[in-house]
Amino acid sequence: MSDNSLKKNFEVRYDMLLNAIPSSVLMVDRKLQVLSVNDNFLLKSQRSKENTVGRPLAEVFPMVILQSTGIEESIRNVFRSGLAIKGQKMTYRAPGVPLRIYYYSILPIPNDQVMLIMEDVTEQVRLSEEVRRVERHLASVVESASDIVLSTDTEGRILTWNSAAEKLSGLSVQEVHGRFFYDLCDANQKQVVRLIFQRMKTSNEPHTTEFHLLTPSKGGSILISWVFSPMLDDYGKAVGTVVVGRDLAERRKLELQLRQSQKLTALGVMAGGIAHEIRNPLAVCSSSAQFLLENNITVEFHKECARKIQANIQKASAIIENLLRFARSSLDTEMGEVDLVTVLNETIELVANQAKVQKIQIQLTLQRTVILVSGVSGLLQQVFMNIFLNAINAMPNGGVLSITVNMVEDRVIVRILDTGVGIPAGDLDKIFDPFHTSSPVGQGTGLGLSICYSIIRQHLGSIQAESRYGQGATIIVTLPLL
Amino acid sequence: MAKALPLLLPCRCFEIMITPILIVDDEPDMCWVISQIIESQGLNVVTAYSGEDACFKLANGDFSVVFLDAKLPDMDGLEVARRASTMIQNRPRVVLVSGYHYQDDPVVRHAIDDGIICSFLAKPFTNEELLKTLHSLLLTDR
Repeated sequence: MSDNSLKKNFEVRYDMLLNAIPSSVLMVDRKLQVLSVNDNFLLKSQRSKENTVGRPLAEVFPMVILQSTGIEESIRNVFRSGLAIKGQKMTYRAPGVPLRIYYYSILPIPNDQVMLIMEDVTEQVRLSEEVRRVERHLASVVESASDIVLSTDTEGRILTWNSAAEKLSGLSVQEVHGRFFYDLCDANQKQVVRLIFQRMKTSNEPHTTEFHLLTPSKGGSILISWVFSPMLDDYGKAVGTVVVGRDLAERRKLELQLRQSQKLTALGVMAGGIAHEIRNPLAVCSSSAQFLLENNITVEFHKECARKIQANIQKASAIIENLLRFARSSLDTEMGEVDLVTVLNETIELVANQAKVQKIQIQLTLQRTVILVSGVSGLLQQVFMNIFLNAINAMPNGGVLSITVNMVEDRVIVRILDTGVGIPAGDLDKIFDPFHTSSPVGQGTGLGLSICYSIIRQHLGSIQAESRYGQGATIIVTLPLL
Repeated sequence: MAKALPLLLPCRCFEIMITPILIVDDEPDMCWVISQIIESQGLNVVTAYSGEDACFKLANGDFSVVFLDAKLPDMDGLEVARRASTMIQNRPRVVLVSGYHYQDDPVVRHAIDDGIICSFLAKPFTNEELLKTLHSLLLTDR
């Protein structure tokens, strides 16, 4: 093959090579004239080979770009120093084409040339901006949340801590970063929380719980409802834990208000029965006292009157004591050991008067005389009071209210069955909804069973209803045994 | 036995012509109190502790006046009064005695208007109130 054809062959390969590069490549000489150019450049700059090759750089690139990037000076520097310039950014807009973003490098080539390589990074830049935008959005979601949102490593060391967490705890992100989350919990909760983090390493299930978060700067703690969720990587391996917490103070306050209003309703219903039951002993006392005022009564009759007065005052006093217990029971909200049998007996005593007035027979069937659960006795009493009063109201013409208590494994099941009007099928799944009521306007708040539901949930139990319209209803309360 | 209470009216006129008085209340002490007041007037009483018991005694005896508790374990006092008004020819005067109702209670008003009961006595009452009620009924013609 002749030298000429070799050279020709080489040039063809050289052009093929250059054109195959997905970047724009220009060869420039010392006089800043374009010696050769690849197809990619011609395509991107919308120029022809004829009006590019042999032309000065100043003609090939728009003046604005040359001035803003100082590319001509950079090329001269490369000629002078012989050192490459790598990775400079430039934006380029050829006429009639959208703005493109390039990274360019200027490389010295033997034979007194430099190679200008321009790599189009418009798409990468757009993607990274998109990523940053999504990241900013996610961060603002977490930051704007009024719930505590934090993340930890698998051992429970805090990695992120949002604004709500800072606000509620009074601890800044700098103060908590890298600390174990359970160090911010109440002393007697630490071990439990540590175990939750252990469980998160192998579990796919979120864990819901309630405990206090210490607020050192505010000198106390706040009750929070927490959800722990394992954070998994692409291979399903646990890499940390996401913890979301909601301040329960407001909710507790609202629930307390609802319970109070419900209690007033219950008191109203009880008033009728109580009145009957207190006026009887009062009438006996009153008449007996009048007998005592008479002259010439026998010593024996005098004593009998005094005994009647004494006994009937005791009777009235016992009814009032029951009322007071009911009215004050909400003051105690600390969970403790509670005997469910005592709670049931006390509550039955409270509604007994009303039941008697309505000719309702109350039957209590127990398996054991003492049944211990963990809870607040006042709250549990309120739950049963509500259910009993509902049952009594459902039996306007009398009937039987039977309460059976059974133990099944680690749970106690209390079934409260009435022989009343029953619950229409359509209402059965609504009865635990707030404000659902079957009572006439002004006679029921419709909050009773929704509060019962919330209290029983707080005791880690469940509450269900079964009924056939016209054939009575059964409410089933299940609680974990202590 | 207590000495006779002072009477608003001379009692001699009742002694011969009056049949026993029925006291219906599920509270034994309440029956004791009303019995004491009435017996002090030299009148006879019979007591019943339930609605069924009262109906039975009403059907099988002759009573001039009934002091009837409004809330009984097996039925309402008013139901007893209603039965008495339909089943007995010689209807006794019925006084409803109640801690559950009050003087101008619509239920009580309606019962009086319908002639089911003649009078109402709210618990607690004074002994004098009870006697006044008793006397006014005994003096009224049937």
